Amino acid sequence: MRRNDSTSLFDRLFKPVTYTLSDGHQVTQKRSRLPLVLVLIVVATIVSGEVTGFSFSTLVRRIGYFFVILRDMFPPDWAYMPRVWQPLMDTIKMSLLGSFIGALLCIPFSVLCASNLIHNRFVTAFFKLFYSVVRTLPTLVIALIATYIFGLGTFAGTVAIAVFTFAYCGKILYEQIETADMGSYEALEALGMGRLSTIRYAIWPQVFPQFISTVLFCFEGNVRYASILGYVGAGGLGLILNERIGWMEYARVGMILIALFITVVIIETVSSYLRSKLI
Amino acid sequence: MIQFTDVAKVYPNGTVGLKDVNLRIDDGEFIAIIGRSGAGKSTLLRSINRMHPITSGNLNIDDVDVEKLSSRELRRLRRRIGMIFQSFNLVTRTTVIRNVLTAFVPDMPLARRVLGIFRRQDKLKALECLDKVGILEKAFTRVDQLSGGQQQRVALARTLAQNPSIILADEPVAALDPVTARVVMDDFKKINREMGITVIINIHHVELALEYCDRVIGIKEGMVVFDGPSSHVDQKVLSLVYGEIDEKE
Repeated sequence: MRRNDSTSLFDRLFKPVTYTLSDGHQVTQKRSRLPLVLVLIVVATIVSGEVTGFSFSTLVRRIGYFFVILRDMFPPDWAYMPRVWQPLMDTIKMSLLGSFIGALLCIPFSVLCASNLIHNRFVTAFFKLFYSVVRTLPTLVIALIATYIFGLGTFAGTVAIAVFTFAYCGKILYEQIETADMGSYEALEALGMGRLSTIRYAIWPQVFPQFISTVLFCFEGNVRYASILGYVGAGGLGLILNERIGWMEYARVGMILIALFITVVIIETVSSYLRSKLI
Repeated sequence: MIQFTDVAKVYPNGTVGLKDVNLRIDDGEFIAIIGRSGAGKSTLLRSINRMHPITSGNLNIDDVDVEKLSSRELRRLRRRIGMIFQSFNLVTRTTVIRNVLTAFVPDMPLARRVLGIFRRQDKLKALECLDKVGILEKAFTRVDQLSGGQQQRVALARTLAQNPSIILADEPVAALDPVTARVVMDDFKKINREMGITVIINIHHVELALEYCDRVIGIKEGMVVFDGPSSHVDQKVLSLVYGEIDEKE
Protein backbone atom coordinates (compact mmCIF):
# COMPACT_ATOMS: atom_id res chain seq x y z
CA MET A 1 0.00 0.00 0.00
CA ARG A 2 1.42 3.37 -0.90
CA ARG A 3 1.16 6.20 1.62
CA ASN A 4 0.31 9.74 0.64
CA ASP A 5 3.68 11.47 0.80
CA SER A 6 2.61 15.09 1.22
CA THR A 7 4.38 16.52 4.28
CA SER A 8 2.35 17.49 7.34
CA LEU A 9 2.01 21.11 8.48
CA PHE A 10 4.28 20.48 11.44
CA ASP A 11 7.10 19.20 9.24
CA ARG A 12 6.77 22.21 6.96
CA LEU A 13 7.02 24.65 9.89
CA PHE A 14 9.83 22.81 11.65
CA LYS A 15 12.07 21.47 8.91
CA PRO A 16 13.40 17.92 9.40
CA VAL A 17 17.13 17.56 9.97
CA THR A 18 19.08 15.99 7.14
CA TYR A 19 22.27 14.12 7.85
CA THR A 20 24.72 13.68 4.98
CA LEU A 21 27.24 10.88 5.31
CA SER A 22 30.77 11.04 3.90
CA ASP A 23 29.76 8.83 0.96
CA GLY A 24 26.97 11.21 -0.02
CA HIS A 25 24.05 9.09 1.37
CA GLN A 26 21.38 11.17 3.04
CA VAL A 27 18.90 10.39 5.79
CA THR A 28 16.31 12.77 7.26
CA GLN A 29 14.98 12.82 10.81
CA LYS A 30 11.66 14.52 11.50
CA ARG A 31 11.52 17.00 14.39
CA SER A 32 10.21 15.59 17.64
CA ARG A 33 6.54 16.28 18.42
CA LEU A 34 7.16 16.16 22.17
CA PRO A 35 7.50 19.97 22.84
CA LEU A 36 4.25 20.57 20.96
CA VAL A 37 2.45 17.89 23.01
CA LEU A 38 3.77 19.34 26.29
CA VAL A 39 2.59 22.85 25.37
CA LEU A 40 -0.86 21.46 24.51
CA ILE A 41 -1.10 19.61 27.87
CA VAL A 42 -0.14 22.71 29.87
CA VAL A 43 -2.61 24.91 27.95
CA ALA A 44 -5.38 22.32 28.40
CA THR A 45 -4.73 22.13 32.16
CA ILE A 46 -4.90 25.92 32.61
CA VAL A 47 -8.00 26.26 30.44
CA SER A 48 -9.86 23.46 32.23
CA GLY A 49 -9.00 25.03 35.61
CA GLU A 50 -10.45 28.34 34.44
CA VAL A 51 -13.59 26.79 32.96
CA THR A 52 -14.48 24.63 35.97
CA GLY A 53 -13.67 27.39 38.44
CA PHE A 54 -11.33 25.12 40.36
CA SER A 55 -9.89 27.01 43.28
CA PHE A 56 -7.04 25.54 45.24
CA SER A 57 -7.53 27.94 48.17
CA THR A 58 -11.18 26.86 48.65
CA LEU A 59 -10.04 23.26 48.65
CA VAL A 60 -7.55 23.97 51.47
CA ARG A 61 -9.99 26.15 53.45
CA ARG A 62 -12.98 23.80 53.39
CA ILE A 63 -11.28 20.39 53.55
CA GLY A 64 -11.72 20.36 57.34
CA TYR A 65 -15.51 19.93 57.00
CA PHE A 66 -14.92 16.58 55.37
CA PHE A 67 -13.39 15.33 58.61
CA VAL A 68 -16.26 16.79 60.66
CA ILE A 69 -18.71 14.61 58.74
CA LEU A 70 -16.35 11.66 58.86
CA ARG A 71 -16.09 12.01 62.68
CA ASP A 72 -19.89 12.01 62.95
CA MET A 73 -20.01 8.68 61.13
CA PHE A 74 -18.07 6.99 63.93
CA PRO A 75 -19.00 5.04 65.80
CA PRO A 76 -21.51 3.72 63.27
CA ASP A 77 -25.01 2.81 64.39
CA TRP A 78 -24.73 -0.99 64.52
CA ALA A 79 -28.38 -1.39 65.43
CA TYR A 80 -29.26 -0.05 61.99
CA MET A 81 -27.63 -3.03 60.23
CA PRO A 82 -30.79 -5.22 59.94
CA ARG A 83 -32.38 -2.46 57.85
CA VAL A 84 -29.30 -2.39 55.55
CA TRP A 85 -29.40 -6.06 54.51
CA GLN A 86 -32.33 -5.86 52.12
CA PRO A 87 -31.03 -2.83 50.09
CA LEU A 88 -27.53 -4.31 50.10
CA MET A 89 -28.82 -7.57 48.62
CA ASP A 90 -30.82 -5.55 46.08
CA THR A 91 -27.64 -3.73 45.08
CA ILE A 92 -25.72 -6.98 44.60
CA LYS A 93 -28.59 -8.59 42.70
CA MET A 94 -28.89 -5.58 40.40
CA SER A 95 -25.21 -5.57 39.55
CA LEU A 96 -24.93 -9.34 39.13
CA LEU A 97 -27.96 -9.71 36.88
CA GLY A 98 -27.23 -6.47 35.01
CA SER A 99 -23.61 -7.43 34.35
CA PHE A 100 -24.67 -10.87 33.12
CA ILE A 101 -27.33 -9.57 30.74
CA GLY A 102 -25.10 -6.78 29.43
CA ALA A 103 -22.19 -9.14 28.84
CA LEU A 104 -24.33 -11.64 26.92
CA LEU A 105 -25.88 -8.93 24.79
CA CYS A 106 -22.62 -7.30 23.75
CA ILE A 107 -21.20 -10.47 22.14
CA PRO A 108 -23.13 -10.28 18.83
CA PHE A 109 -22.78 -6.50 18.67
CA SER A 110 -19.01 -6.66 19.16
CA VAL A 111 -18.69 -9.18 16.33
CA LEU A 112 -20.56 -6.71 14.10
CA CYS A 113 -18.09 -3.99 15.14
CA ALA A 114 -14.94 -5.98 14.36
CA SER A 115 -13.49 -4.79 11.07
CA ASN A 116 -11.41 -7.97 10.69
CA LEU A 117 -14.57 -10.12 10.64
CA ILE A 118 -17.07 -7.80 8.93
CA HIS A 119 -15.64 -6.33 5.76
CA ASN A 120 -18.48 -3.89 5.17
CA ARG A 121 -17.07 -0.63 6.56
CA PHE A 122 -20.49 0.94 6.98
CA VAL A 123 -21.74 -1.87 9.20
CA THR A 124 -18.73 -1.73 11.53
CA ALA A 125 -18.75 2.08 11.63
CA PHE A 126 -22.46 2.07 12.44
CA PHE A 127 -22.15 -0.34 15.37
CA LYS A 128 -19.03 1.39 16.68
CA LEU A 129 -20.93 4.68 16.63
CA PHE A 130 -23.82 2.95 18.39
CA TYR A 131 -21.47 1.80 21.17
CA SER A 132 -20.00 5.30 21.48
CA VAL A 133 -23.46 6.83 21.81
CA VAL A 134 -24.51 4.34 24.49
CA ARG A 135 -21.19 4.86 26.33
CA THR A 136 -21.62 8.63 26.49
CA LEU A 137 -24.79 8.18 28.58
CA PRO A 138 -23.79 8.18 32.26
CA THR A 139 -25.16 5.21 34.22
CA LEU A 140 -27.05 7.56 36.51
CA VAL A 141 -28.84 9.13 33.53
CA ILE A 142 -29.69 5.69 32.10
CA ALA A 143 -31.07 4.71 35.51
CA LEU A 144 -33.15 7.91 35.62
CA ILE A 145 -34.57 7.21 32.15
CA ALA A 146 -35.19 3.58 33.15
CA THR A 147 -37.20 4.66 36.19
CA TYR A 148 -39.44 6.72 33.89
CA ILE A 149 -39.98 3.72 31.64
CA PHE A 150 -40.11 0.81 34.10
CA GLY A 151 -41.07 2.63 37.28
CA LEU A 152 -39.11 3.02 40.51
CA GLY A 153 -37.23 0.05 41.91
CA THR A 154 -34.49 -2.46 41.29
CA PHE A 155 -35.66 -3.39 37.79
CA ALA A 156 -34.74 0.07 36.49
CA GLY A 157 -31.37 -0.25 38.24
CA THR A 158 -30.74 -3.64 36.63
CA VAL A 159 -31.49 -2.21 33.20
CA ALA A 160 -29.10 0.71 33.81
CA ILE A 161 -26.31 -1.64 34.89
CA ALA A 162 -26.94 -3.90 31.89
CA VAL A 163 -26.74 -0.98 29.47
CA PHE A 164 -23.51 0.26 31.01
CA THR A 165 -21.94 -3.22 31.02
CA PHE A 166 -23.06 -3.74 27.43
CA ALA A 167 -21.31 -0.58 26.24
CA TYR A 168 -18.17 -0.99 28.34
CA CYS A 169 -17.49 -4.72 27.86
CA GLY A 170 -18.65 -4.49 24.24
CA LYS A 171 -16.05 -1.89 23.36
CA ILE A 172 -13.25 -3.88 24.98
CA LEU A 173 -14.46 -7.12 23.38
CA TYR A 174 -14.48 -5.74 19.83
CA GLU A 175 -11.02 -4.27 20.32
CA GLN A 176 -9.79 -7.69 21.44
CA ILE A 177 -11.45 -9.35 18.46
CA GLU A 178 -9.78 -6.87 16.14
CA THR A 179 -6.34 -7.62 17.57
CA ALA A 180 -6.87 -11.40 17.60
CA ASP A 181 -4.49 -13.55 15.56
CA MET A 182 -6.15 -14.06 12.17
CA GLY A 183 -3.88 -16.97 11.23
CA SER A 184 -6.11 -19.57 12.82
CA TYR A 185 -9.14 -17.82 11.30
CA GLU A 186 -7.61 -18.21 7.85
CA ALA A 187 -6.79 -21.85 8.55
CA LEU A 188 -10.33 -22.75 9.62
CA GLU A 189 -11.78 -20.83 6.69
CA ALA A 190 -9.49 -22.86 4.43
CA LEU A 191 -10.80 -26.12 5.83
CA GLY A 192 -14.32 -25.21 4.79
CA MET A 193 -15.92 -23.56 7.81
CA GLY A 194 -18.59 -20.92 7.46
CA ARG A 195 -18.22 -17.46 8.94
CA LEU A 196 -20.00 -18.11 12.25
CA SER A 197 -18.22 -21.41 12.94
CA THR A 198 -14.88 -19.77 12.17
CA ILE A 199 -15.58 -17.02 14.69
CA ARG A 200 -16.74 -19.62 17.21
CA TYR A 201 -13.64 -21.83 16.82
CA ALA A 202 -10.81 -19.43 15.88
CA ILE A 203 -11.64 -16.08 17.49
CA TRP A 204 -13.72 -17.07 20.52
CA PRO A 205 -11.05 -19.25 22.22
CA GLN A 206 -8.60 -16.34 21.86
CA VAL A 207 -10.82 -13.66 23.37
CA PHE A 208 -12.89 -15.68 25.86
CA PRO A 209 -10.60 -15.66 28.95
CA GLN A 210 -9.90 -11.96 28.57
CA PHE A 211 -13.58 -11.26 28.03
CA ILE A 212 -14.64 -13.05 31.22
CA SER A 213 -11.95 -11.12 33.05
CA THR A 214 -13.32 -7.85 31.67
CA VAL A 215 -16.85 -8.78 32.70
CA LEU A 216 -15.71 -9.62 36.24
CA PHE A 217 -13.85 -6.32 36.45
CA CYS A 218 -16.92 -4.51 35.21
CA PHE A 219 -19.05 -6.36 37.78
CA GLU A 220 -16.76 -5.13 40.58
CA GLY A 221 -17.30 -1.56 39.45
CA ASN A 222 -21.01 -2.16 39.00
CA VAL A 223 -21.48 -3.01 42.69
CA ARG A 224 -20.20 0.47 43.49
CA TYR A 225 -22.27 2.09 40.74
CA ALA A 226 -25.38 0.20 41.81
CA SER A 227 -25.05 1.58 45.33
CA ILE A 228 -25.66 5.14 44.14
CA LEU A 229 -28.41 4.34 41.64
CA GLY A 230 -30.91 4.60 44.50
CA TYR A 231 -30.42 8.37 44.34
CA VAL A 232 -32.59 8.47 41.25
CA GLY A 233 -35.00 5.89 42.64
CA ALA A 234 -33.53 2.81 40.99
CA GLY A 235 -33.40 0.80 44.24
CA GLY A 236 -30.57 -0.53 46.36
CA LEU A 237 -28.33 1.09 48.96
CA GLY A 238 -28.45 4.55 47.36
CA LEU A 239 -32.08 4.86 48.39
CA ILE A 240 -31.42 4.63 52.14
CA LEU A 241 -28.06 6.40 51.77
CA ASN A 242 -29.83 9.41 50.27
CA GLU A 243 -32.49 9.32 53.01
CA ARG A 244 -30.04 9.11 55.90
CA ILE A 245 -27.84 11.89 54.52
CA GLY A 246 -30.98 13.99 54.12
CA TRP A 247 -31.82 13.41 57.82
CA MET A 248 -28.17 14.05 58.73
CA GLU A 249 -28.03 10.69 60.53
CA TYR A 250 -24.34 10.30 59.89
CA ALA A 251 -23.92 7.35 62.26
CA ARG A 252 -26.35 5.38 60.08
CA VAL A 253 -24.64 6.65 56.92
CA GLY A 254 -21.42 5.29 58.44
CA MET A 255 -23.09 1.88 58.92
CA ILE A 256 -24.25 1.80 55.30
CA LEU A 257 -20.80 2.78 54.01
CA ILE A 258 -19.06 0.12 56.14
CA ALA A 259 -21.46 -2.55 54.85
CA LEU A 260 -20.80 -1.40 51.28
CA PHE A 261 -17.05 -1.26 51.84
CA ILE A 262 -16.88 -4.81 53.19
CA THR A 263 -19.06 -6.11 50.35
CA VAL A 264 -16.94 -4.41 47.70
CA VAL A 265 -13.72 -5.73 49.23
CA ILE A 266 -15.09 -9.29 49.31
CA ILE A 267 -16.33 -9.11 45.72
CA GLU A 268 -13.09 -7.56 44.47
CA THR A 269 -10.99 -10.20 46.24
CA VAL A 270 -13.02 -13.06 44.79
CA SER A 271 -13.08 -11.52 41.33
CA SER A 272 -9.37 -10.73 41.16
CA TYR A 273 -8.64 -14.28 42.33
CA LEU A 274 -10.84 -15.64 39.54
CA ARG A 275 -9.27 -13.29 37.00
CA SER A 276 -5.75 -14.36 37.96
CA LYS A 277 -6.82 -17.96 37.27
CA LEU A 278 -8.20 -17.05 33.83
CA ILE A 279 -5.19 -15.68 31.99
CA MET B 1 -6.82 -32.87 -11.24
CA ILE B 2 -6.18 -29.14 -11.03
CA GLN B 3 -6.18 -27.20 -14.29
CA PHE B 4 -5.10 -23.55 -14.64
CA THR B 5 -6.06 -21.97 -17.98
CA ASP B 6 -4.74 -18.46 -18.72
CA VAL B 7 -5.10 -17.57 -15.04
CA ALA B 8 -4.30 -13.98 -14.04
CA LYS B 9 -4.66 -12.13 -10.79
CA VAL B 10 -4.45 -8.38 -10.33
CA TYR B 11 -4.76 -7.04 -6.78
CA PRO B 12 -7.11 -4.08 -6.15
CA ASN B 13 -4.09 -1.75 -5.81
CA GLY B 14 -2.89 -2.71 -9.30
CA THR B 15 -0.16 -5.17 -8.31
CA VAL B 16 0.05 -8.11 -10.68
CA GLY B 17 -0.07 -11.35 -8.66
CA LEU B 18 -0.31 -13.90 -11.47
CA LYS B 19 -0.10 -13.64 -15.25
CA ASP B 20 -0.71 -16.18 -18.05
CA VAL B 21 -0.59 -19.20 -15.76
CA ASN B 22 -1.28 -22.50 -17.51
CA LEU B 23 -0.75 -25.61 -15.43
CA ARG B 24 -2.08 -29.11 -15.08
CA ILE B 25 -1.61 -30.91 -11.79
CA ASP B 26 -2.62 -34.56 -11.66
CA ASP B 27 -3.85 -36.48 -8.63
CA GLY B 28 -1.12 -37.82 -6.36
CA GLU B 29 1.63 -35.47 -7.53
CA PHE B 30 4.17 -34.01 -5.10
CA ILE B 31 5.01 -30.52 -6.35
CA ALA B 32 7.32 -27.76 -5.15
CA ILE B 33 6.68 -24.17 -6.16
CA ILE B 34 9.85 -22.09 -6.01
CA GLY B 35 10.53 -18.41 -6.60
CA ARG B 36 11.60 -15.26 -4.82
CA SER B 37 9.52 -13.60 -2.12
CA GLY B 38 6.71 -11.69 -3.76
CA ALA B 39 6.97 -13.64 -7.02
CA GLY B 40 3.42 -14.97 -6.62
CA LYS B 41 3.94 -18.37 -4.98
CA SER B 42 1.42 -17.76 -2.20
CA THR B 43 -1.05 -16.22 -4.63
CA LEU B 44 -0.81 -19.27 -6.88
CA LEU B 45 -1.33 -21.64 -3.96
CA ARG B 46 -4.21 -19.68 -2.45
CA SER B 47 -6.01 -19.30 -5.75
CA ILE B 48 -6.55 -23.08 -5.73
CA ASN B 49 -8.95 -22.98 -2.76
CA ARG B 50 -10.03 -19.43 -3.63
CA MET B 51 -8.61 -17.89 -0.48
CA HIS B 52 -7.42 -15.36 -3.06
CA PRO B 53 -9.86 -15.18 -5.99
CA ILE B 54 -8.34 -14.90 -9.48
CA THR B 55 -9.32 -12.03 -11.77
CA SER B 56 -9.30 -13.77 -15.15
CA GLY B 57 -8.88 -17.18 -16.74
CA ASN B 58 -10.19 -20.53 -15.55
CA LEU B 59 -9.23 -22.64 -12.58
CA ASN B 60 -10.81 -26.08 -12.57
CA ILE B 61 -10.56 -28.76 -9.92
CA ASP B 62 -11.85 -32.10 -11.21
CA ASP B 63 -13.60 -30.17 -14.01
CA VAL B 64 -15.40 -27.87 -11.58
CA ASP B 65 -14.77 -24.16 -12.14
CA VAL B 66 -13.64 -22.90 -8.74
CA GLU B 67 -14.56 -19.29 -9.48
CA LYS B 68 -18.18 -20.18 -10.24
CA LEU B 69 -18.92 -21.97 -6.96
CA SER B 70 -21.49 -20.59 -4.55
CA SER B 71 -20.22 -19.93 -1.04
CA ARG B 72 -21.76 -23.20 0.16
CA GLU B 73 -20.16 -25.19 -2.67
CA LEU B 74 -16.87 -23.40 -2.06
CA ARG B 75 -16.91 -24.47 1.59
CA ARG B 76 -17.58 -28.05 0.47
CA LEU B 77 -14.60 -27.83 -1.90
CA ARG B 78 -12.38 -26.47 0.86
CA ARG B 79 -13.30 -29.48 3.03
CA ARG B 80 -11.38 -31.59 0.49
CA ILE B 81 -8.34 -29.29 0.39
CA GLY B 82 -6.02 -29.20 3.37
CA MET B 83 -3.92 -26.14 4.00
CA ILE B 84 -0.67 -25.76 5.95
CA PHE B 85 0.86 -22.39 6.81
CA GLN B 86 4.32 -21.04 7.58
CA SER B 87 3.18 -19.75 10.97
CA PHE B 88 1.06 -22.90 11.66
CA ASN B 89 -2.11 -20.84 12.32
CA LEU B 90 -3.32 -22.94 15.22
CA VAL B 91 -5.57 -21.62 17.96
CA THR B 92 -2.72 -21.38 20.46
CA ARG B 93 -4.80 -20.77 23.56
CA THR B 94 -6.48 -24.14 23.45
CA THR B 95 -5.41 -27.79 23.49
CA VAL B 96 -3.88 -29.75 20.65
CA ILE B 97 -6.85 -32.09 20.32
CA ARG B 98 -9.36 -29.25 20.14
CA ASN B 99 -7.36 -27.82 17.24
CA VAL B 100 -7.52 -31.12 15.40
CA LEU B 101 -11.23 -31.50 16.19
CA THR B 102 -11.99 -28.20 14.41
CA ALA B 103 -11.56 -30.19 11.18
CA PHE B 104 -14.89 -31.93 11.94
CA VAL B 105 -16.84 -28.77 12.74
CA PRO B 106 -18.18 -28.08 9.21
CA ASP B 107 -19.92 -31.47 9.19
CA MET B 108 -21.50 -31.18 12.64
CA PRO B 109 -25.15 -30.34 13.30
CA LEU B 110 -25.80 -26.78 14.40
CA ALA B 111 -26.38 -27.43 18.11
CA ARG B 112 -23.13 -29.33 18.60
CA ARG B 113 -21.27 -26.79 16.47
CA VAL B 114 -22.40 -23.94 18.70
CA LEU B 115 -21.76 -25.76 21.95
CA GLY B 116 -18.48 -27.30 20.81
CA ILE B 117 -19.40 -30.84 21.80
CA PHE B 118 -17.51 -33.57 19.94
CA ARG B 119 -18.46 -37.22 19.70
CA ARG B 120 -16.21 -39.94 21.05
CA GLN B 121 -15.60 -41.32 17.55
CA ASP B 122 -14.45 -37.88 16.36
CA LYS B 123 -12.06 -37.65 19.29
CA LEU B 124 -10.68 -41.09 18.45
CA LYS B 125 -10.25 -40.04 14.81
CA ALA B 126 -8.43 -36.87 15.91
CA LEU B 127 -6.15 -38.90 18.19
CA GLU B 128 -5.37 -41.27 15.30
CA CYS B 129 -4.33 -38.31 13.15
CA LEU B 130 -2.07 -37.07 15.93
CA ASP B 131 -0.59 -40.55 16.17
CA LYS B 132 0.14 -40.57 12.43
CA VAL B 133 2.37 -37.50 12.81
CA GLY B 134 3.92 -38.93 15.99
CA ILE B 135 2.65 -36.41 18.49
CA LEU B 136 -0.11 -38.36 20.25
CA GLU B 137 1.30 -37.79 23.75
CA LYS B 138 0.80 -34.02 23.37
CA ALA B 139 -2.93 -34.34 22.64
CA PHE B 140 -4.12 -32.61 25.81
CA THR B 141 -1.36 -30.02 26.04
CA ARG B 142 -2.03 -26.39 25.22
CA VAL B 143 -0.63 -25.47 21.80
CA ASP B 144 1.38 -22.48 23.06
CA GLN B 145 3.53 -24.88 25.05
CA LEU B 146 4.75 -26.76 21.97
CA SER B 147 7.82 -26.10 19.84
CA GLY B 148 7.50 -24.89 16.25
CA GLY B 149 8.08 -28.35 14.78
CA GLN B 150 5.47 -29.87 17.09
CA GLN B 151 2.98 -27.14 16.19
CA GLN B 152 3.48 -27.76 12.49
CA ARG B 153 2.75 -31.46 13.06
CA VAL B 154 -0.43 -30.52 14.93
CA ALA B 155 -1.40 -28.43 11.90
CA LEU B 156 -0.66 -31.44 9.71
CA ALA B 157 -2.84 -33.64 11.94
CA ARG B 158 -5.67 -31.09 11.68
CA THR B 159 -5.35 -31.24 7.91
CA LEU B 160 -5.31 -35.06 7.88
CA ALA B 161 -8.46 -35.10 10.02
CA GLN B 162 -10.16 -33.32 7.13
CA ASN B 163 -9.38 -36.38 4.98
CA PRO B 164 -8.32 -34.16 2.09
CA SER B 165 -7.48 -35.15 -1.48
CA ILE B 166 -5.17 -32.16 -1.93
CA ILE B 167 -2.83 -30.50 0.57
CA LEU B 168 -1.58 -26.96 -0.05
CA ALA B 169 1.42 -25.99 2.08
CA ASP B 170 2.58 -22.38 2.19
CA GLU B 171 6.23 -22.30 3.32
CA PRO B 172 5.59 -25.12 5.82
CA VAL B 173 9.22 -25.45 6.93
CA ALA B 174 10.42 -21.83 6.67
CA ALA B 175 10.00 -21.26 10.41
CA LEU B 176 11.67 -24.54 11.41
CA ASP B 177 15.27 -25.57 12.02
CA PRO B 178 16.91 -27.79 9.34
CA VAL B 179 16.44 -31.05 11.26
CA THR B 180 12.79 -30.43 12.15
CA ALA B 181 12.21 -29.24 8.59
CA ARG B 182 13.29 -32.68 7.34
CA VAL B 183 11.01 -34.43 9.81
CA VAL B 184 8.05 -32.41 8.54
CA MET B 185 9.05 -32.95 4.89
CA ASP B 186 9.26 -36.70 5.61
CA ASP B 187 5.69 -36.49 6.95
CA PHE B 188 4.56 -34.82 3.73
CA LYS B 189 6.29 -37.46 1.64
CA LYS B 190 4.73 -40.25 3.67
CA ILE B 191 1.28 -38.70 3.31
CA ASN B 192 1.78 -38.28 -0.43
CA ARG B 193 3.05 -41.83 -1.01
CA GLU B 194 0.87 -43.81 1.39
CA MET B 195 -2.41 -41.94 1.16
CA GLY B 196 -2.09 -40.73 -2.44
CA ILE B 197 -2.87 -37.14 -1.50
CA THR B 198 -1.74 -34.45 -3.95
CA VAL B 199 0.77 -32.23 -2.13
CA ILE B 200 1.70 -28.76 -3.40
CA ILE B 201 4.37 -26.94 -1.40
CA ASN B 202 5.72 -23.40 -1.60
CA ILE B 203 9.30 -23.62 -0.51
CA HIS B 204 12.42 -21.47 -0.30
CA HIS B 205 14.83 -24.33 0.38
CA VAL B 206 15.74 -25.46 -3.12
CA GLU B 207 17.73 -28.46 -1.92
CA LEU B 208 14.74 -29.76 0.08
CA ALA B 209 12.46 -29.15 -2.89
CA LEU B 210 14.72 -31.12 -5.23
CA GLU B 211 15.23 -33.93 -2.74
CA TYR B 212 11.59 -34.51 -1.79
CA CYS B 213 9.39 -33.34 -4.66
CA ASP B 214 8.84 -34.98 -8.05
CA ARG B 215 8.03 -31.85 -9.97
CA VAL B 216 9.15 -28.23 -9.62
CA ILE B 217 7.29 -25.13 -10.77
CA GLY B 218 9.32 -21.90 -10.89
CA ILE B 219 7.51 -18.59 -10.59
CA LYS B 220 8.90 -15.18 -11.43
CA GLU B 221 6.92 -11.94 -11.42
CA GLY B 222 3.64 -13.86 -11.47
CA MET B 223 4.54 -16.05 -14.43
CA VAL B 224 5.50 -19.71 -14.64
CA VAL B 225 9.09 -19.65 -15.95
CA PHE B 226 9.91 -23.30 -15.29
CA ASP B 227 7.80 -26.43 -15.00
CA GLY B 228 9.40 -29.84 -15.04
CA PRO B 229 10.73 -32.82 -13.06
CA SER B 230 13.13 -32.00 -10.23
CA SER B 231 15.93 -33.83 -12.06
CA HIS B 232 15.85 -31.15 -14.78
CA VAL B 233 16.53 -28.31 -12.35
CA ASP B 234 20.09 -27.05 -12.76
CA GLN B 235 21.98 -23.82 -12.18
CA LYS B 236 20.55 -22.32 -15.38
CA VAL B 237 16.97 -22.95 -14.27
CA LEU B 238 17.69 -21.50 -10.82
CA SER B 239 19.14 -18.28 -12.19
CA LEU B 240 16.10 -18.05 -14.48
CA VAL B 241 13.75 -18.35 -11.50
CA TYR B 242 15.72 -16.36 -8.95
CA GLY B 243 17.27 -13.81 -11.33
CA GLU B 244 20.82 -12.53 -11.15
CA ILE B 245 22.48 -12.44 -7.77
CA ASP B 246 23.52 -8.78 -8.00
CA GLU B 247 20.04 -7.65 -9.00
CA LYS B 248 18.77 -4.93 -6.65
CA GLU B 249 15.77 -5.51 -4.38
